[in-house]
Amino acid sequence: MTFTLRTKTILSGTAAIAAAALALAGCAAPPAAQAGFTGWDQVTAAAQGQTVRLWMYGGDKQGNSYVDNTLKPAAAKEGVTLERVPVADTKDAMNRVLTEVQAGTRDGAVDLVWVNGDNFGTGKQAGAWSCGWTSMLPNMTLTAASDPLLANDFGAPVEGCEAPWSKAQFTFAYNSATVTDPPKTLAGLLDWSRTHPGRFTYPAPPDFTGSVFTRQVLYSVSGGYANVPLGFERKAFDRLTPALFDTLTGLAPSLWREGKTYPKTSGELDALYAGGQVDFTMTYGPATLTKLVADGTYPAATKVLTLEEGTVGNASFLAIPSTSGHQAGAMVVANLALSPEQQAAKADPRVWGQFPVLDPAALSAAQRAMFEALPPSPVVPAYDVLSKNANPELAAAWVPELDDAWRRQILTGR
Amino acid sequence: MAVTLPPGPRTPWTPPRGDGSALRISRTPGRVGRTLLALALAVWFLLPLAPLGLWLFADRWSYPAALPEAWGLDGVRSALAQGAGPAFARSLGLGLAVSAVATPLGALAARALAYHRVPFPAAVNAVLFAPLALPAFAAAFGLNVLLLRLQVPPLAGVILILSVYALPYTTYTMRVAYGSHDLGFEEEARTLGATRWQVLARVHLPLLAPALARSAFLAFLIGWSDYLITLLVGGGAFITVPMLVASAASGTGNDSVVAVLSVTAVLPPLILLLGLGFFARKPPGGLS
Repeated sequence: MTFTLRTKTILSGTAAIAAAALALAGCAAPPAAQAGFTGWDQVTAAAQGQTVRLWMYGGDKQGNSYVDNTLKPAAAKEGVTLERVPVADTKDAMNRVLTEVQAGTRDGAVDLVWVNGDNFGTGKQAGAWSCGWTSMLPNMTLTAASDPLLANDFGAPVEGCEAPWSKAQFTFAYNSATVTDPPKTLAGLLDWSRTHPGRFTYPAPPDFTGSVFTRQVLYSVSGGYANVPLGFERKAFDRLTPALFDTLTGLAPSLWREGKTYPKTSGELDALYAGGQVDFTMTYGPATLTKLVADGTYPAATKVLTLEEGTVGNASFLAIPSTSGHQAGAMVVANLALSPEQQAAKADPRVWGQFPVLDPAALSAAQRAMFEALPPSPVVPAYDVLSKNANPELAAAWVPELDDAWRRQILTGR
Repeated sequence: MAVTLPPGPRTPWTPPRGDGSALRISRTPGRVGRTLLALALAVWFLLPLAPLGLWLFADRWSYPAALPEAWGLDGVRSALAQGAGPAFARSLGLGLAVSAVATPLGALAARALAYHRVPFPAAVNAVLFAPLALPAFAAAFGLNVLLLRLQVPPLAGVILILSVYALPYTTYTMRVAYGSHDLGFEEEARTLGATRWQVLARVHLPLLAPALARSAFLAFLIGWSDYLITLLVGGGAFITVPMLVASAASGTGNDSVVAVLSVTAVLPPLILLLGLGFFARKPPGGLS
C-alpha cells in the first residue's frame, strides 16, 4: 500500500505552508477564550451525553489499548462518549482543524488532539486552540504550577491552551549483548560510533527523533544546554552550529552504510536496531521499550543508556480545537486523564508506561501509594533516574532552522 | 420480438489447431521457456508476500530467526481490538459507493466524448483528467473548507471527492470501450423494432459489460484505498482499513497487525479482480 508514505511526505511539506497561509489569514482569529462556563459544575452538566473525538497518533498499540480499555470506560461513567481517531501523523489532525478554522466551523469533528511541539505552536499561531480553560480543571491543582515542562511547550507558552497528559524523555537504547562498553556521555557515544564503524546511525531530520538527536548533539558540542539560548537567535545559530555540523560531517563515514544514507524515519532506525544492523536506537517515547523487548521485537539484552549530562525532556498534552462543538465534554476527558487513577494506570509499564505529569507533593498519601505500587519496567529506569539533569527543549523556531541546515550540509553537502 | 444478439460469452471459441506434429515439436523449447518465465515472474511477485503471510500468524519473530518463533493469533486479535471488523465493512461500503457514482458518470462522459456530442472535447477531456494531475492534499484541503461552509455531510463529501478522483479512470476505460463499440448492433435492433430501453438493456449494456466491470473495479479501488480524503473530509467519523493500516504502520513492533490489516486490505480487490477475470473475458469477435 503506497498511501502511507505518500500521504506523510505530502503532508509534512504542505501542512507548514497551509498553516503559514492560515496564520496570515488568521490574524482575525485570536486564540478563542473559553466562553460561557463560570464553574466546573456547569462544565460537567454541559458535558452530559456529548461525544468527544480524540485524534491521536495510532502507531502505539499500548496507547490505543489504554485509551480504548481504560480511559474510554472511565469517560463513559462521567457521561461522555469517547471515540478514538487513529492517525499516522498528528499533522493529519492539525490539517483537519486548520480547514475547520478557515471555514469558521463551530461544530468541528476534532474535540481533542494529543499534541506538543511544533504542531501545538502552529495551531496556536493560527488560533486553532481553545485557551484559558485548563485552570478550570480540578485536577490541574495536582500539577506543579512551576513545572517548566508544563508551562512551555517547545518554547511556546502553554497559556491554558492545552492540558498536560504525559512526560517523556529522549532516550537512547542499546543492545548490551554487543555493546559491552556503554558510553556515559553523548560525546562518548559519538566516540563509540567512530571506533565501531557501521554500528550507529540516526534518523534524517526533519524526522522528529532525528531532529531531537541533532539538538542533543548541539548541546553536547556547545558544552551543555546552558550555552545554547532556548529562544532562536540568528547570531547564536551562526556561532554554535558550525561545530555541530563539523562533528556530524566527521561522524558520517563511521555511521551505518558510511553515512551515505540515513534512516528516513525513527521507525526505520528501530527496524535496523530490531534486525541487529545497528547497536543503538533512540526514542522520545521510552514507554514503548518495555513492550518491544517483551514481545521480542527488540533484543532481550536491550538497555537504556543514561547520559551523565542528561537528555532533553518534554511533555505532551491534550488540546481542544477552538472549532470543537463539544468543549465541555473534551474538558471532562482532559480532567479525567489528569486524575491520579488514570495517570497511575497509564504509567503502568504493562499498560502503557507513560510518565505521569502530576506533582508527588500535591498528592495524598493514598494517591502516592498508587504510583509507588507500580511494577518497575525491566528495561526503562524510573522517571527520576531518566530525567536526571534533564535538558530543556529549544524553542520550536530552532527546529526547522537546524533541520534545513542538516539537509544542506550533511545530506546534500557531501 | 426477435432481436439478433451478438454471440454471447457462452459460445465456445475454438482456437485454430496446428495440424502437423512437427510444428508442435518445434514449439516445445519456446513453451518450456515461457513456462519458466511465468514461474520466475510468479516467484518474483509472490516471494515478497511470503514474510507478510508468515507475519499474519507470528506472535514472536525476532532477528535473526529465519521463521517465527511463536505462532498465534495475537495480530488478528489486536487488529480486531482496533476495530478492523467495522472498518472493513466501512471500506467496502465506501468502495462500492464510489464505484456506484463514478462508473455511470464515467460511462456517460465517455459516450458523449466518443460520439462527439460535446463542444470543445479537448477542454472537456482536460477537465475530466485534471484530478490525476492535482495533488490530493491540495484538493482535499481547499475543498474541505468549501464543503464545511456549505455544510455538506462529511460522508457525502468523501464520496463526492473520491468519485471525482475515480472519474478519470472510469472515463478512460469507457472511452476505450466506446471507441471499439459498434453502433451497428444498436441500429439493427432499432430497425427490428426494439424500444430504446430494450436496446439499452439487451444490446448496449451486455456489449459494454466487461468494460463497465473494469471501470467499476478501478473506481472501487479509489474508495477502498484512500486515507487522506477519508480522514480529512470525513472528519474521523468514518474509520476505514487504510486509516488503521497507516497508523499501525507508522509505529514500531506492529508487523503482525500490519500484516493482518494489509492482507485484509488486499483480499476484496483480489477477489473482485478474479471475478473480473471470469466476467470480463472478451467475447469472441473482438467486441469489448
